[in-house]
Formats: sequence, C-alpha cells, structure tokens
Amino acid sequence: MWVYEKKLLYPVEVKECNPKLARYIAEQYGGADGELAAALRYMNQRYTVPDKVIGVLNDIATEEFSHLEMLATMIYKLTKDATPEQLEEAGLGAHYVNHGHALFYENAGGVPFTTTYIQAKGDPIADLYEDIAAEEKARATYQWIINVSDDAWINDSLKFLRERENVHSLRFREAVEVLKDERDRKKIF
Amino acid sequence: MDATERRDMLKNVQQADFVVVELTLYTNTHPDDQEALTQWRLAIKEAASLRKMYEKRFGPLSLHSIPSEQAIDTGWRWNQAPWPWQM
Repeated sequence: MWVYEKKLLYPVEVKECNPKLARYIAEQYGGADGELAAALRYMNQRYTVPDKVIGVLNDIATEEFSHLEMLATMIYKLTKDATPEQLEEAGLGAHYVNHGHALFYENAGGVPFTTTYIQAKGDPIADLYEDIAAEEKARATYQWIINVSDDAWINDSLKFLRERENVHSLRFREAVEVLKDERDRKKIF
Repeated sequence: MDATERRDMLKNVQQADFVVVELTLYTNTHPDDQEALTQWRLAIKEAASLRKMYEKRFGPLSLHSIPSEQAIDTGWRWNQAPWPWQM
C-alpha cells in the first residue's frame, strides 16, 4: 500500500502564469516518455522480475509518482490564473473546451495518455533495457523543455528531475549487471 | 513570517527525506556497501528527527505520525489547506 505525504519531493516555485510552458511540461506528465508512463511501467513489471531487483523497480516507481505530483503542481500553478484567451494563445484552446482549468493526462500535443506507450515483456533483461531507454528519453525531454523555458524557478525543478533520470538509468544498468552475475553463477554449477 | 518559517522547516524535511530516497536506491543495487548502509541508517534517523520538529508545530505530514497537542490546539486538521500544490 501507499501512504500519502503532504509535501512535494522537491520544491516547485511558480512566480508567474505561463500556460505555454505548462503545455510543454505536459509532455512529461502524460506523454510517451513521461512520469506517468514510467511509474505505471515499473510498478507493473516488479511482479515478474527476480527478487534481487524488485526493490529497484518498486522504489523507482514510487519516486516517479512523486515526480508526477511535482509536474502537476507546475501545470496547475502555471495555468490556474490564465484567461481562456491566454490558454488559446498558448495552444491550449482545445484543452480548455474539453477540460476547463483541470489537468489531464496528455502530451504537449494534446494526445491523451495510452498504455500502448509501455510494455511488460515478462523477460527481466528486456524489461530493464526498456526502463533504461525510458529514463534516457525522459532525461532528453527534460533538457528540451529547459531549452525552451526562460523561467529560472521552473528550470530549477526541471533540472532536479532531469538529474533523477540519470540516477534511475544508472540503477537500472546496475540491476542488469546484478541479473547477469546471477545468470553466470548458475552456469558454473 | 510563520509561512517563511514553515517553508524553511519543510525544506529541511524534504532535503533529509531525499537523502533517504537516494541512499535507498543506491543500497538496492549495492547491498554489500557497508559504508552506504551506515549512511542510510543515519539518514533515516536524521530525517525522522527533522520531521518530528516540523510536525510538532505544523501537524503531521502523513498519518503515520501522532498529531501533537500543539498542532491540535492550533486547529490542525488533516483535511486542511495548504496542500502541497497550494503552497
């Protein structure tokens, strides 16, 4: 089970309304390489991996949900005071007529989230390689968002998230090595 | 002033909790690193102590903590703003 903590993993400071930036951040919220995809992917894969790497998937999945909450906070705060006209100018006109000021799991282009973004192969090495790729793609996406954002406060939080992708990628690479070591040990006996 | 103090104290909790998150991930793939395991245990202790300081004044961050008399006296309720995205 999970217990809610009434705090963010890392602070999110929003100083001004910026619906266009919110739209870009949606790529990491409900996009193919985003946090929702990551969290659901790892949470689901953890059942069919060897015991030695369950913790890696369980704990990274849990952290991804806290990243999702940080992004939701950014999107919410960047759009809450925007007028319908401002949302329209930012390319969120279609979002507004469907969802108002609510958040929705969609990418920067407004495409709704789908589980076809993620896989569970039942083969631990195949799954972990997908997870490494997912982290690297998420890291790249954060960089592209930072490149088009001039909001120093938001960029600070985005840089934190970008660095987390690096660390997660490293832990998944180590998990692959743990499994390879185990496989090689079995061959010897 | 209270809001600034609250934010600063919460930041201390966030920092300490993050150290635990990071060391947990690290020790998952380095189970024999004794120095990391020691750091991990100390980090959990430090995070618990900072959390206690925050919660005593501003109320529980999760329902694993017992609400302090001080928090209850000042009207703390779980279902009470600000939520993290409102701060």
